[in-house]
Amino acid sequence: MTALPMSARTRKRVIERGLDVLTWLVLLVMIAPVLWLVASSMQTDGNLARGTYDLLHPTFRAFRDMWSTVEFSRYLVNSVIICTAAALLATAFASTAGYALARYKFRGGGTFSIALVGTQLIPGSMFLLPVFLGMVWLGRHTPIHLFDTRVGMILVYTAFFTPVAIYFLRSFFLAIPTELEDAALVDGCTPFAAFWRIVLPNALPGLVATFVYAFLFAWDELLFVAALTEHNAETLPIGMRNFIGNYSQDYGQLMAAGVVSTLPVMLAFFATQRWLVRGLQAGAVKG
Amino acid sequence: MSTPTLSDIDVDVTVTDEPDPAPAQARGRRARRPRRRTWRTNRFAYALVAPAVCFMVLVHLLPAAGGILLSFKNLNTFTFSQLYAAPWAGLQNYRSILFDADNPLHSGFFGAVQNTAVYTFWTVGLTLCGGMAIALLVKRPMRGQKVVRTLMLTPWIVPSYVVATLWQFMWQSDVGIVNKVLVDYTHLLHDRPVWLLGPKTMWAIIIPSVWRGLPFAMLIFLAGLQAMPRELYDAAAIDGAGPIRRFRYITLPLMRPLIAIQLLFGVIYAAYQFAIPYIMFGSNPGDDADLMMTLIVRQSFSNSLFGFGAAASTLLMFGMLVWVLIWYRAFRRDLEATR
Repeated sequence: MTALPMSARTRKRVIERGLDVLTWLVLLVMIAPVLWLVASSMQTDGNLARGTYDLLHPTFRAFRDMWSTVEFSRYLVNSVIICTAAALLATAFASTAGYALARYKFRGGGTFSIALVGTQLIPGSMFLLPVFLGMVWLGRHTPIHLFDTRVGMILVYTAFFTPVAIYFLRSFFLAIPTELEDAALVDGCTPFAAFWRIVLPNALPGLVATFVYAFLFAWDELLFVAALTEHNAETLPIGMRNFIGNYSQDYGQLMAAGVVSTLPVMLAFFATQRWLVRGLQAGAVKG
Repeated sequence: MSTPTLSDIDVDVTVTDEPDPAPAQARGRRARRPRRRTWRTNRFAYALVAPAVCFMVLVHLLPAAGGILLSFKNLNTFTFSQLYAAPWAGLQNYRSILFDADNPLHSGFFGAVQNTAVYTFWTVGLTLCGGMAIALLVKRPMRGQKVVRTLMLTPWIVPSYVVATLWQFMWQSDVGIVNKVLVDYTHLLHDRPVWLLGPKTMWAIIIPSVWRGLPFAMLIFLAGLQAMPRELYDAAAIDGAGPIRRFRYITLPLMRPLIAIQLLFGVIYAAYQFAIPYIMFGSNPGDDADLMMTLIVRQSFSNSLFGFGAAASTLLMFGMLVWVLIWYRAFRRDLEATR
């Protein structure tokens, strides 16, 4: 019996289907750790210690207990307030600066864009110390308390994430046709009114995406909050570190805390995914 | 009143005699239809960037300059109350880091430099190669393509402190899922590796970093692949070029600018990695996984050696400046090509 030689077309189809399977396998590997996080958060401590999982009988005890083991709600509330405020402020700064970079060619504009990239080159630890010392100094000599306060963290995060927000939003402004503003300008609008009444409303998806983008970064930030807070303004990553440091055996609660910390950003991301992805990709391809 | 009018706008291609303020700016940040530079439009543009500039100078640049200043000061537990008035140390901080072989900070610093280099090399290398491979896979038309592309992004959304917590749990030697898969289920290994202690700790932080970085690299490369001209591939296919040759001679050269940008920022972010080792191992990850940032933060804030921390930060930034220069020399032509 001789095997029938595969025609070129069949061979191509076999390869294509094989690559489809490979794609799904890669996807499985990519999301497996997240599935493991969720699965582990719903196991009893005994199951976790033995490493035998009972997926059919999930328990939500860890989700109930985690709030009292460490003051998890305090960390969560701080994270929500600080990240929301910082992302809003960064988006506000970025809306005007990004618009200027997208539409106007002005002396110093090029330097400004390079400086924005340049800020990414400064290690966080570099201005961490001076910011820390500055906050301590202000607290001693003035009634302005920034060390270990939410306001202090909001200011630091805003400054730190404004550059990326500007770049991100700029690509959205570039995608808006100039005809709208031109018409408004011809009708006697001031440049600012054209920006405020015509451009900004049209850039709403970009503004939302920028907000979420900055929010994702702020939510992830650990270095500054580790150094610039000691109790009042501590956010989720510190809570997580305290969890691991002090209750490292409570893996169920640890995983539940991980799920709770991930949910807000996950929801925000998937709700605005279309715009966010467009912004990221446009920025990459068009510069 | 000279508000910009249509006639102003249409002159964007005419050459003005004013020198371009930034001729060599990276990646051609040109406005799509730049308006002629008149004082009035300039003033409006300045007003638009002013808030961001003021704020960043105040909270970003001035402190960074202060950081360089501090690296020349002798700021530690005893002099901390003096803050910036702490005594000058000249180059002492740098000297003890770079040349004083008896100083424990010296060996600690070079250990961290080496670890950071290893970590950065593998993290960036694996992320870019893997990201490219996944982008090629999901670019193919297939059923459920949209779902696959969206779900592939999941690891990128998981905060790095959750990533570190989760992987620390998965790396456990006895009950961790990684060893269960490697040893108990597939029998790939016979001895249970210890991931969280000793030489393997480096991989315990590299692999989660790569996992979290892959989706972003994929997203950017996918955008590049989709923007690629279809005709080139068709022509090459007619000429008899196989998929590997097409990738080597068409895809890769056309993707060079994107690879360059990913490489630039990938290296910077990896060299400044802090969260993953810090969450996984605490403030001291041990000799095998101590990165620059964990070292600097530990010495500055746990041991109050602020002068050392500032000097090490400055050296780290210089290292990155050198990297940017090397990168610029290597990829300058690609950046100009995309203008």
